Amino acid sequence: MTTLLDPTPSLVEPGERPDRRAAALRATGRWAAAIGGALVIFSALLLLRGANPLEALGDMWVSTFLRGRSLAEILNVMAPITLAALAVLVPARAGLTNVGGEGQLMLGAIAAGGTALALDQQLPGPLVLVLALVAGGVAGAAWAGVAAILRLRFQVDEAVSTLLLNFIALDLLLFLIYQPWRESAAGQPTTRELADAAKMPVITGTVINVGIIVALAATVVVILVLGRTRWGFRLSVVGGNAEAARRAGMNVAGLVISALIVGGLLAGLAGAIQFTGIEYKLRAGFGLQIGYLGFLASWLARHRPLPVLLASFVLAALAIAGDSLQLDAQLPAASVNILTALILAAVLGWTTVKARRA
Amino acid sequence: MSIEAPVAPTTLPMLQVDGFSKRFGEVQANSDVRFDVHAGEVHALVGENGAGKSTLLKMVYGVYEPDEGRMLIDGEPVALGSPAAARSRGVGMVFQDLRLVPAFTVTENIALAANPGPVLRLKDLAAEIAEASARHGLAVHPNARVRHLSIGERQRVEILKVLMTGARLIILDEPTSVLAPQEVDALFAVVRQLTEAGFGIVIVTHKLGEVRAIADRVTVLRAGRTVLHGVDPDDYDDEQLIEAMVGRAVPALPAERGPVPPSDVPALELTGVSSRGDRGHEALTDISLRVQPGELVGIAGVAGSGQRELCEVALGLRPTTSGEVRIGGASVDSARDAIGAGAASVPEDPVADSVVRRLTVLEHMGLDGRRIPARGLGVDWAAVRARMTDADARLGLRIAPAKRRLSELSGGNIQRVILTRELALDSSLVVAAYPSRGLDVANARRTQEVLLERRAAGSGVLMVSEDLDELMALADRIVVMHDGHVSGEVLAADFDRQAIGRLMVGGTS
Amino acid sequence: MSLIIDVLTGGVRGGTSILYAALGETVSQRSGVINLGTEGGMLGGALTAYIIAAETGNPWLGVLGGGIVGAALALVHALLVLWRGANQFASGLMVLFLALGLTSLFGASYVGRTITPFTTWAIPVLSDIPVLGPVLFDQDPLVYLSYLAVPAAWFVLFRTRAGLLLRTAGERSDALTVHGADVRVVRTWAVGAGGFLAGVGGAHLSIAYTNTWFENMVAGRGFIAVALVILAAWGPVKVMAGAYLFGAALALGPALQARGIPVNQFLLHVIPFVLTLVVLAALGRRSSNAAPAELQRVFENGAPAT
Repeated sequence: MTTLLDPTPSLVEPGERPDRRAAALRATGRWAAAIGGALVIFSALLLLRGANPLEALGDMWVSTFLRGRSLAEILNVMAPITLAALAVLVPARAGLTNVGGEGQLMLGAIAAGGTALALDQQLPGPLVLVLALVAGGVAGAAWAGVAAILRLRFQVDEAVSTLLLNFIALDLLLFLIYQPWRESAAGQPTTRELADAAKMPVITGTVINVGIIVALAATVVVILVLGRTRWGFRLSVVGGNAEAARRAGMNVAGLVISALIVGGLLAGLAGAIQFTGIEYKLRAGFGLQIGYLGFLASWLARHRPLPVLLASFVLAALAIAGDSLQLDAQLPAASVNILTALILAAVLGWTTVKARRA
Repeated sequence: MSIEAPVAPTTLPMLQVDGFSKRFGEVQANSDVRFDVHAGEVHALVGENGAGKSTLLKMVYGVYEPDEGRMLIDGEPVALGSPAAARSRGVGMVFQDLRLVPAFTVTENIALAANPGPVLRLKDLAAEIAEASARHGLAVHPNARVRHLSIGERQRVEILKVLMTGARLIILDEPTSVLAPQEVDALFAVVRQLTEAGFGIVIVTHKLGEVRAIADRVTVLRAGRTVLHGVDPDDYDDEQLIEAMVGRAVPALPAERGPVPPSDVPALELTGVSSRGDRGHEALTDISLRVQPGELVGIAGVAGSGQRELCEVALGLRPTTSGEVRIGGASVDSARDAIGAGAASVPEDPVADSVVRRLTVLEHMGLDGRRIPARGLGVDWAAVRARMTDADARLGLRIAPAKRRLSELSGGNIQRVILTRELALDSSLVVAAYPSRGLDVANARRTQEVLLERRAAGSGVLMVSEDLDELMALADRIVVMHDGHVSGEVLAADFDRQAIGRLMVGGTS
Repeated sequence: MSLIIDVLTGGVRGGTSILYAALGETVSQRSGVINLGTEGGMLGGALTAYIIAAETGNPWLGVLGGGIVGAALALVHALLVLWRGANQFASGLMVLFLALGLTSLFGASYVGRTITPFTTWAIPVLSDIPVLGPVLFDQDPLVYLSYLAVPAAWFVLFRTRAGLLLRTAGERSDALTVHGADVRVVRTWAVGAGGFLAGVGGAHLSIAYTNTWFENMVAGRGFIAVALVILAAWGPVKVMAGAYLFGAALALGPALQARGIPVNQFLLHVIPFVLTLVVLAALGRRSSNAAPAELQRVFENGAPAT
């Protein structure tokens, strides 16, 4: 692994400036203002709805961060969001817009589920788990590969194709759970539950499953690969100016395909973790919006891998907070999407320093 | 709508600019500039790139507000503030890059400027266009889509548009830079007809021949200042006008150079090459061309005659529909083939073709097409830096610091980085499109020297330029293109502007 | 025969909400702005119309309110992308999440409420024409209104000065600047108008078609509308045909099941998406050549020139 590292002073993040501390301080200030502003507007809306915002937010805070299990839940939810965000980030480095994390995640879950449910009675649990994760990654990569082929062979923009592929993936999932893979004709349309032995193990002494470790490891790998390898450098050339890459003799088509496929692999892995670590069965509403949340997380982090962890944590915490909103304040869990959106709006619109030459 | 001929010439200038100054950040683009135009005259505004011509005109046209100074129209002080205000006072501008919408018809484009009320009366307008185009000798078809028009036709549409919006003073911003000599003659005929009808014309150019051919008076700007103000060009000889523009005598190029050494294997050989342009039309037809090692071949032609496609085909960047491309005897089908065979290139539009967002000067130096120096799976930046230092020392174009982002540099600085990267390579072939574009006189001259050094070192050099003088000074041979064909070839001994000009419009020499 | 009539009628009925949204998205994209928040605009329009119809008993007020909320959500998108330089795809999804949250918060108490919906008005004489009559002229008033909205949108885009400015914003913004119009203002109007139409589309869904409200009821129709605009090469009339095609594909499953033909509805549901991809692939470069030039820039680097 150490051979990957390039000890020369880093040019790999060309955006860096010497006054990093001041910049970090300003960034923190902007984030605080963004979150504060979002909370104020959200409170006003709660008030309009007739709820007591202080009480609701207080309850949210308490049950999200101060209850023992909550942090574990946040980390569990954070794992697939992080991977889904990396699935946006890697193609973005090559200038691609992957809106298809949702579908790639769904395909990953379908493949992981299909593999695991077919094998969990015959093979040892850990082996089934590994096979499920591999299957999920491969399926996600393949689904993204469809978009890559559509772009390169047929000039269909990937932002459009990945979006459409999301709906096709969703219909595929629903088709499977309503008919071929349905556990029983009578009950809810779901598959059966994964055998306990094949479920994602938890970190000893906690209820945190290993998914977060996979996500953290993936983040580290992405940081190293994008920042320190020639492939990563080539991706940023393609993303910065594909024509320049072509003129420098780079295999632009190959780089575009590989970036999208790596993105799909990460999203597929997210689906496999969602299945083996959180939901254990495929059902309607499986992993809903994690792909889109990942997209937002990557944008919150401006497509930089380390901040993606923070953004994913925030979005995961908000998701958990939504549940507590429903339990404690009897407000719909999805209301918390308002907060998510407002924070994103603040970050997208009011934290950029535009340094463009006229 | 009708086009009223402006009132008969009076002694009062239509436009008078008194002491305009304008600063952008650290750059004083205009300082105390004076300029005036009378009805019925052509006033040429000349100066090098960056002399402040555009800034002056944009203030006259209301795009920028001057920091200081005032402007009078028909003797009345005015503050325009917007192009719309300028137009309402009878000032019209034809931009160099022609602000037409390619997807629209001629009529729709003119409707955009001529304000016809909330509902478009396209049929009525088309009839008016046909009538006006006949009256002014500006042949255009109202229902043609601008996308399908030649540059010359588009320029006519722009002039017509300006006329139909009631302009009395028309500013033509470098109108001839994209035209063939014969098209220039047609444009000048239109200009003369307009001045006889009492319009005032400002023409921006940096070609002295054009100044002499069309201008009644000339104003020279240098470094944002008025060097000559409204003088009669006949009172000055070429040397004096050039010195006014560039400020000092330009050293002559090394005139003597060795003969092209004989060689069996051409550095570049195109045999019967045809290729399509971006819009799917045939951009190159049956091109055969050889560049010997140690030979500099110039490509002349009207803009858009296939020069871009020719360079791209030679570099393996554009597929051919027939024919064969060979560099140093090796067949070329892709950019990698061309680079592998030893090609270096200076692209036509470096900002679009070479500048990568967010990347530094140093990182761009790693994009010369050769293998990126490896260190494990990573890049050996120390090796790239060593390469860069060496190249900069050898070429002497003084590139910007390694850590600067290239996209934040000026056009000339970008061009110097790309030139340094490409011309420092030990290449067998150099394909250089407009290599001195955007450079000041000293750097342009140094670039020309470097190209000759490459030639002397045995590279074949294929050079595209819009400046015939530059080509005639450097080339061993000039190949003239017209409409995707090679229309002729002239050897250095026989260089003749008129003959080359005739070939540029498809005639014979 | 009755199957065909059912499918076609369902196609028009079910396609109308998509039609309004896609028409709005056409206006927006013609000016150079893609709005993935169309899905959110439809949601906002659907809930607002439902609430107003429930509280006032007047569905027309509901349509108006739905349109206004749709426009308001689109203006949030316009504010971010045009005035604050945000990425269009990210901002569009943000608007979707905003609408999801808002409609969830304010819609919970309306789940299961009854309303006075639009009813079908059979147009005398015309509705008696075989096949075409029941398909086109035995529909609700919002469907009839859409028959006017399509040519109206065409006329505004291609025969008025406002439309010319709007298309110029989408084709070449510096040409617009020369003529004294502010590109961002023109685009803001276009995006807002597009959002209004998306809101009306949502209203059709909740108070004319399904006559119900539930969370996330738009279920991807807004995204379909966005894709449809590209498929229809930014032309209002082709958008209409495409919307009915999508509607028909959605209506086919229930129509077959009603006749005891067992089909998995998700296999039918997927058809329009697959079809769109296939057509886009078949058109290939031609579809991107037809795109407004500034919109192409959005796809290339996420931000149009201003």
